[in-house]
Amino acid sequence: MARMKFLCDADRCIECNACVTACKNEHEVPWGINRRRVVTINDGLPGERSVSMACMHCTDAPCASVCPVSCFYTTDDGVVLHSKDTCIGCGYCFYACPFGAPQYPRVGNFGTRGKMDKCTYCSGGPEADRSEAEYVKYGTNRLAEGKLPLCAEMCSTKALLAGDGDIIADIYRERVVTRGYGSGAWGWRTAYGDSVSV
Amino acid sequence: MLVKRRTGEATRGRLASVAAGLAAKTIDRRSFLRGSGLAVGGIAAASAMGAGFVRRAEAGRVDPEQNVEIRKNICTHCSVGCTVTAEVQNGVWVGQEPSWTSPINRGTHCAKGASVREIVHGDRRLKYPMKKVAGQWQRITWDQAIEEIGDKLLSIRETSGADSVYLLGSAKFSNEGAYLFRKFAAFWGTNNVDHQARICHSTTVAGVANTWGYGAMTNSYNDIRNSKTVIFMGSNAAEAHPVSMQHILTGKETQRANVIVIDPRFTRTAAHSTDYIRMRPGTDIAIIWGIMWHIFENGWEDKEFLAARVYGMDQVRAEVAKWNPEEVERVTGIPGEQLRRVAETFATQKPSTFVWCMGGTQHTVGTANVRAYCNLLLATGNVGSAGTGANIFRGHCNVQGATDFGLDITNLPCYYGLAEGAWKHWSRVWEVPYDYFAGRFDAVPAKGGREARSPEQNMATPGIPSTRWFDATLMEAEEVDQRDNIKAMVIFGHGGNTVPRMQEAQRGMNALDLLVVADPHPTTFAALHDRTDNTYLLPMGTQFECSGSRTASNRSVQWGEKVVDPIFEADNDYAVIYRLSKKLGFAEPMFKNYEMVQGKFSEEPTPESILREINRGGWSTGYTGQSPERLKAHMRNQDKFDLVTLRAPADDPEVGGDFYGLPWPCWGTPEFRHPGTHILYSTDLPVKDGGGAFRPRFGLEHEGATLLAEGSWPKGSEIEDGYPEFTMALLKRLGWDADLTAQELAVIERIGGGDPEKIDAVSWSTDLSGGIQRVAIEHGCVPFGNGKARAIAWNLPDPIPVHREPIYTPRPDLVADYPTREDGRQFRVPNLGHSIQAGVVERKVSESFPIVLTSGRLVEYEGGGEETRSNPWLAELQQDMFVEINPQDAAARGITDGGWVWVTGPEAESRARVKALVTERVAPGVAFMPFHFAGWFQGEDQRGKYPQGTDPYVLGESVNVITTYGYDPVTGMHEGKATLCQIAAA
Amino acid sequence: MQLKTFVSQLLAAFALVTVVALGAPASAQQINPTANSVQEQQLLDALQGQGTVSGRVSIPDQRSADLIKPGNPGWANLHNGTVSTLSIVAILGTLGLLTLFFLIRGRIRVESGMSGRMIPRFNAIERFAHWMLAASFIVLAISGLNLVIGRAVIRPIIGEGAFGTLTAWGKLAHNYLAWPFMVALALVFLFWVVHNIPNRIDLQWIKQGGGILKKGAHPPAGKFNFGQKLIFWAVVLGGAALSFTGIMLLFPAETATPADWQLFQIIHGVVAALLSAVIIAHIYIGTVGMEGAFDAMGKGEVDINWAKEHHALWVEEVEARESRPRGRAATPAE
Repeated sequence: MARMKFLCDADRCIECNACVTACKNEHEVPWGINRRRVVTINDGLPGERSVSMACMHCTDAPCASVCPVSCFYTTDDGVVLHSKDTCIGCGYCFYACPFGAPQYPRVGNFGTRGKMDKCTYCSGGPEADRSEAEYVKYGTNRLAEGKLPLCAEMCSTKALLAGDGDIIADIYRERVVTRGYGSGAWGWRTAYGDSVSV
Repeated sequence: MLVKRRTGEATRGRLASVAAGLAAKTIDRRSFLRGSGLAVGGIAAASAMGAGFVRRAEAGRVDPEQNVEIRKNICTHCSVGCTVTAEVQNGVWVGQEPSWTSPINRGTHCAKGASVREIVHGDRRLKYPMKKVAGQWQRITWDQAIEEIGDKLLSIRETSGADSVYLLGSAKFSNEGAYLFRKFAAFWGTNNVDHQARICHSTTVAGVANTWGYGAMTNSYNDIRNSKTVIFMGSNAAEAHPVSMQHILTGKETQRANVIVIDPRFTRTAAHSTDYIRMRPGTDIAIIWGIMWHIFENGWEDKEFLAARVYGMDQVRAEVAKWNPEEVERVTGIPGEQLRRVAETFATQKPSTFVWCMGGTQHTVGTANVRAYCNLLLATGNVGSAGTGANIFRGHCNVQGATDFGLDITNLPCYYGLAEGAWKHWSRVWEVPYDYFAGRFDAVPAKGGREARSPEQNMATPGIPSTRWFDATLMEAEEVDQRDNIKAMVIFGHGGNTVPRMQEAQRGMNALDLLVVADPHPTTFAALHDRTDNTYLLPMGTQFECSGSRTASNRSVQWGEKVVDPIFEADNDYAVIYRLSKKLGFAEPMFKNYEMVQGKFSEEPTPESILREINRGGWSTGYTGQSPERLKAHMRNQDKFDLVTLRAPADDPEVGGDFYGLPWPCWGTPEFRHPGTHILYSTDLPVKDGGGAFRPRFGLEHEGATLLAEGSWPKGSEIEDGYPEFTMALLKRLGWDADLTAQELAVIERIGGGDPEKIDAVSWSTDLSGGIQRVAIEHGCVPFGNGKARAIAWNLPDPIPVHREPIYTPRPDLVADYPTREDGRQFRVPNLGHSIQAGVVERKVSESFPIVLTSGRLVEYEGGGEETRSNPWLAELQQDMFVEINPQDAAARGITDGGWVWVTGPEAESRARVKALVTERVAPGVAFMPFHFAGWFQGEDQRGKYPQGTDPYVLGESVNVITTYGYDPVTGMHEGKATLCQIAAA
Repeated sequence: MQLKTFVSQLLAAFALVTVVALGAPASAQQINPTANSVQEQQLLDALQGQGTVSGRVSIPDQRSADLIKPGNPGWANLHNGTVSTLSIVAILGTLGLLTLFFLIRGRIRVESGMSGRMIPRFNAIERFAHWMLAASFIVLAISGLNLVIGRAVIRPIIGEGAFGTLTAWGKLAHNYLAWPFMVALALVFLFWVVHNIPNRIDLQWIKQGGGILKKGAHPPAGKFNFGQKLIFWAVVLGGAALSFTGIMLLFPAETATPADWQLFQIIHGVVAALLSAVIIAHIYIGTVGMEGAFDAMGKGEVDINWAKEHHALWVEEVEARESRPRGRAATPAE
């Protein structure tokens, strides 16, 4: 089984935000929820790099480890998903997540968090694949159709890679060898415990 | 988080953002289901109490049970030409998939392209025709709108003349729409017809066409993959043309290419450069001459290329010699060593390409800037082959096409100009007598010491540029060189915040007798002014709501298929132009060549039949081979085209040997199957395979030297030297006239009217049979001839580009040496730049306004921004108008990042309340503002002025409130990139 | 926190270097942004597993500008390890100790036996406040504890669906009952703070170990003995801490930073565990642990003998107060 991962090649990322709006478009994510975002480090300085970030679908995901209701589960593809039926919007996953992935609609009582929403790697949730119920809660299930996450598919410069971790690591490695530089597979060390060695 | 309708208050507090949850309700138009994320009954109750929250729009879901239709169209934002793949179910656009097979975008998009589906769902669209009655917007019917607008236009025509109606078209039109709108202007009888090219690349078109023949990008985005060195000057492709960066960054990696960015801002593009050089806005020519000084000094120029294909470089060399490193550093601040490095890299690590955008063009010296860039390319032999060229990234999805089809005050479609021959050519194509048009144009009386013009002369006189329409409205009638002032604006798809001096634009709008805005959104034209009546809004569909072709920046023509019917009561351009023509009484002659079908509300012409007419007349630009059938075949066979050469394999049955999108010139008839021209002026290929040469457009010799190529010709040419354009006379002299078919000859003779002299004069560009082109190409020759590029353009104000300080210069000490051009009159109005600059120096404006202000794009928005600011997926990403200011300047003014500031300008006591973005992107003493915002005007929130429900989510101050006077003498381009301002904490 | 400062200083220093390079157009040095590109590894090494790699975002939510927080899994470990363990140990430990105590010491009887004569100890408002506090605390504690151990203990028993439902209700209850808890806490504080100021008499009580361990020992005490004062202050201070951190966690979008939330959450968990332990002891002594004690909050009046044994000074005080007016009132009748 493939182990799905994201890899953002910051030497290609130009902060065009296609990944952000592709995600909004595909899943009709409401205003205020950003399953994916682009962060620019050292903005305006030589050395500036932009990185597109969403849930990295970590190995031994910290969110899952702290969830008081154990609403997280990891699919055979290595995708970390969660059940909105079980989620209580406590926010612990946000505290634990190194990438700021969990998002909460601010509609609860006292303006607290609603049920957590995050990147599903375009693979829905616990409901039946491609069902109405799944769409309503989690958005489209592209993986079930044999498609990869739309953010990566639509990335303007092909900076954001999605797919089997070994394959995208190879693509990245090859790029670094070809061009002679690489600022790193951002988030990999934190999410998967190892980076892409070149 | 500005999603609730708020008026009169130019700020947003924390409460507004707290209200976000509530606000989500106003965002969704399609009855968002308050779906329950919870399984069981008890919990559903909990959900109602607020513990659960999941909501989703029905329209976003692709129902796997139902059939999905796939429709391909082209992104309606920038000019890269990304294919958009739409999934449609039951007439609703439910999903967007990557367009993997497009050789241009290969599945990818930028933020705008990835969110275009929203455009045909958006509830901020203009939903039905409206008019203003006693200051209130009222819904009216289409019939009423057309009827009333038509009557008013006819009455204005009666009292003030045809030229009093300004027809402002759009780079968002399809080719067919643009062409139809230009034709509409001709039938109405005015040359006051323009579009966005005026304010983005008019100087490029003028500068480039005057150098080597055609005003367009010479190569393609894909071809930059071949470049070893790329210079971006005044271009921020990462934000303005993000998908192009796919090709550029890949090329940078695989070629280990040098990417040099010369820009006042450290942009997202600069972040990926290998050499960043910061410049002062408005010093392009000094920098280019500074680079060329090193090239000539070190003998790095391409002598062979210059000798064979360039005229006049020696005179340029003399000007360049003045720009030694010391002088360059004095003027630009860039040390010589840096430019030496750039010069050496560009001249020796070839192929090299030069990319520019509005950083170069939007200046009082825009045309001169462009010609300086061209000279750098010519001097280093970097034109006409793979990996080289002037890669001009254009702005809108069809700004190239709209330019090509003459939505322009100086041209009929396809750059035929306005001379009698041009009118006669199109009269033949349109099958309407030339005299008909003469009868439609105004006679202009003698006034202000100027001579009177007959209607025929007026037909040949360029109109008023879109940058000056309000001057032509407000000025004394005596000053405006036409029958009367501008009295009516009819605006199809054009923002009202796009040119400087918005205070004047506001006054202009107030002064008009009639204002008609035909647009998917109300635009600034609907909200900026205080008009109470005679103001109409017509809801138009976007290009996703009609079919038609559009021309990308690289001249590739792509056919877009209607995705859904126009939403709400919107209608398409073809139908509305038809209805207006009908009302105005010239629909019959104008539309007689078209296939008419029943549209949404009325009859309308099919875009296919309009394109066929274009094919019958667009000889000068090679718009003749791109039949609708061929274009549709290209869309079907996108996967056949090579990523780098853009060419399909020769053996493909449908598109064999073609270049993708049949980039013009695509010579001859569609049956001739010319493959299009991927790289202009390339002698590496036979003409029939897309080769070419520089176009001898400016005579055969100048000052005793030939303007024809010497020792250079396209591969396979039977004439192995330079030659002039092909005419019947030339064919005869070569004995090639025998190759014409009887049919072709009959057409040529008919055009000549049986007069042998006139028959001899029939040329490649007026021969409606395409025979002359066919024969020339079959002999390996370029129909337009084989000439030299011009390093000097003696017909322009500065034949050799000369550095001239911006009117509002931060360096008054340089004005004595480098003043702006003398005052004069261009395009029916005066240009007072010189007097204003003198006043600026005298009043020491740069002391009270010490910060140089420049402007540019954001990736999330486009143009005036109404459409993109109305798209919540985009609007969420940029919620505030801002000014970028260097930390030093900010600290000195007590300005904090994210805090409110007032930006004030040196004209009309202009001021704008915006947020500060404190960043090193700009140098000390330089500020940057994006140009997409409108809806706030000098601190006043104008949200209430939009018709209810059509106000964009995000409003903000327009940079053009602050920008100032200044117009390029060649095209009327405004100065959008170099002015002065002051900034203070608010 | 220190690390965070360190990192921001480091980034600032890095920025400074590059600023110098950019801000000096006079130098002909090449600015090669590709070669200078910031490296993830370099940033992570500087952070040493803590702090935040952050940048700029265009959306208003500035928290989203934090790109990577390598230290966050550390919070997860702290939460899962220390806080969970502490909660379990504190609660089970207290229960164990009390059981042991009960087995050894048994129920503390009123040695002189019940007199049947009652004196008022808490009026209705006091008792209302106490029970509001007690009831809300119990629900808060249980619903809170559920978040710590529920998934291990309850979920396997009742299944995911029911557990989810239960916990969602628990969260709602926790959010809503926090308010009566805070109101009651404030009332209780106002009512009893005067009686809970430690004084010299408490020393004697401490010396005698509260008289709990040995039969017959009854150190003097006012309205509240030192043990009760301890509970009072534990409830007041712990409750205040829980209230503050709870409010912060209840309004996450409007308050504080993610780092603060983490800190508040840990404080909330630790204080809740400790306070729960204290309250368990309090419940024990007020019910099964001591004869006659429950009446104080139950009926509002206590047996005079119980009162004399446990709150001798208070009884004296009350009697002194009561005899005076009664005397005055009685005299004319004689």
